[in-house]
Amino acid sequence: MAVETGSQPPPTETSDKGPATSRALASGAWTLLKRFLTLREGSVIVITLLTIIYFSITLDKFATSGNFKTLLPYFAPFAILAAGEVFLMINGEIDLSIGAVYLASPFIFYEFHNGGIPLIAALILALIACMVIGLINGLFTAVVGINSFITTLGMLFVIEGLTLIISHAQPVDTPGTNVAKLTTFASIFGGGTYSELIWALVIITILQIVLTLTRWGVYTVAVGGNRLGAAEAGIKVRLVIIRNFILCATLAGLVGVLEAVRTSSVQPDPSGANEVLFDAISAAVIGGTLLAGGSGTVVGALIGAIFLGVLRDGLIIKGVNADYLSFYLGLAIIIAMAANTYVARVRKGSGVG
Amino acid sequence: MSHACERGRALAETGINGEHVVAPATASDDVLRVEHVSKKFGPVTALRDINMHLRKGEVLGLLGDNGAGKSTLMKIICGFQRPDEGQMFLRGEPYEPHSVDQARKLGIDAVYQDLALIDELSVFHNMFLQREKLKGPTPFLANRVMRTEARAALDDIGVNVPRLNVPVARLSGGQRQAIAVARTVHSEADILLLDEPLAAMGAKEGALILDLIARLKEEGRVSMIMVLHNYVHVLTACDRVNLIQDGVISLDKPTSETSVEELTEIVVEEYRRARQAARAAGGS
Repeated sequence: MAVETGSQPPPTETSDKGPATSRALASGAWTLLKRFLTLREGSVIVITLLTIIYFSITLDKFATSGNFKTLLPYFAPFAILAAGEVFLMINGEIDLSIGAVYLASPFIFYEFHNGGIPLIAALILALIACMVIGLINGLFTAVVGINSFITTLGMLFVIEGLTLIISHAQPVDTPGTNVAKLTTFASIFGGGTYSELIWALVIITILQIVLTLTRWGVYTVAVGGNRLGAAEAGIKVRLVIIRNFILCATLAGLVGVLEAVRTSSVQPDPSGANEVLFDAISAAVIGGTLLAGGSGTVVGALIGAIFLGVLRDGLIIKGVNADYLSFYLGLAIIIAMAANTYVARVRKGSGVG
Repeated sequence: MSHACERGRALAETGINGEHVVAPATASDDVLRVEHVSKKFGPVTALRDINMHLRKGEVLGLLGDNGAGKSTLMKIICGFQRPDEGQMFLRGEPYEPHSVDQARKLGIDAVYQDLALIDELSVFHNMFLQREKLKGPTPFLANRVMRTEARAALDDIGVNVPRLNVPVARLSGGQRQAIAVARTVHSEADILLLDEPLAAMGAKEGALILDLIARLKEEGRVSMIMVLHNYVHVLTACDRVNLIQDGVISLDKPTSETSVEELTEIVVEEYRRARQAARAAGGS
């Protein structure tokens, strides 16, 4: 007899015809519902839908195409930022400097373009500069061995400081944009109504595929789940970590430029940049990515970002006093996370992968 | 803590006389030789002067107290750590692996004591960790191929793991161990290092692994070094036994020339000396 010590396969359900059919159907639906709820993203999807339904019923102006357009910049940029952060968080690391990189990249873009470099080339150079920032974060974390919280906290101040020095704390017009008319460049890189949404969906799709279907993804989970074991299996742990820091910083740089193009101006505002950081991390965490590493989802980050965006938009339409906005957002995050944790516990118990 | 330190020092003093240290031995059909290998971790000497050889098709049992340096030696041979001094030779050629990957390409693979499994990854992803199969020239994982091959490898051992899609965190200790062993045995490697392959296993699963090792030995393709704790396992599964004491090999005998009694006696003696030394150190 073969050794049998693990979990048993679920018993196959047999439904006989007749009065039992409806009961079998109900139990099938319940199984499906349970499967869905115990998906890593299941609970946040439900919470987001409930929030949307609530605002749609209570607010006339919520479920309109006009409001949908208003909503887009509330979540699309954060979804992209959160997607990069998800990779690092699965790695067991965190990048606090994405807000600063988001702040700096349009200024780098502006400076390159001011120096006579064409728009696209200047944008690429700005993104390469962001990659270098990610590389430095990665080297200090993975090679020197400083905790990434500290490394990137330091980097946050360094980059914010540099941005203020370069910009003399003066806002500038984003190159390639024109307040009077939408240029092709602007419509692609953030200025078009659906530009950011398309960027977000494309990036989220690619990264979810990378996470689940490529070596990069498997190694990211492996390094976050069991760093020593991954090294013993021969995975180049440092390389994996550095690569994810570069990914995260590059996405932050891209979002910085997209937002600068959308608003046609580059603002040297560190406090706004840090709010961006917190929103991105919140979206990732609400989406079901663990801070402890080893587990996470990019699609979840998108839904987390949508949840935060819907909540903010709905509360603003509701006319909630700006002073209460953060308070409600904070409460919502904690409640959503509590629900997530509860579902995670149910999932563990139910044995659904 | 202080007790362990004293014992360590006491052993070093008695061991330095060298009465138990075996001379570097060789055989004409050696696939692996380890000569004068030493390794320190800061102030702690894990390996002092290790001389060891492994013949083609041989199963070498490695015994030793906790902290004697067995795992360190295994990790040096499989390229995870580098020795401070000494040389190694693989099939007669100098062998200085600078990574696990390189050692694996040269045909050496290990089952670590901690198993090196990733709890969050599925059974088949773990079995192919760092040697994933891809769909042709694309960067995408050939999950179905890996699942099929993993299933075949596990069936071959006879260990029942009902579902290969579940994270290994869900499996029992024995199943996890079997997966780690299957991963190494089904690699291309012809020198296998098994660090306590039976540690987390019940009798039934342990028997499966011992059967597998006997079968591999019969096929004669691979040579193995196994760290074991159970003397009966050593005598039944291994051709030869080496004992590490205090960072040196203090015994090297074919299993046919030794017995559970002799091995027990050596270890009891080691404890007795250690206790005496500790008492002497405490009294002074």
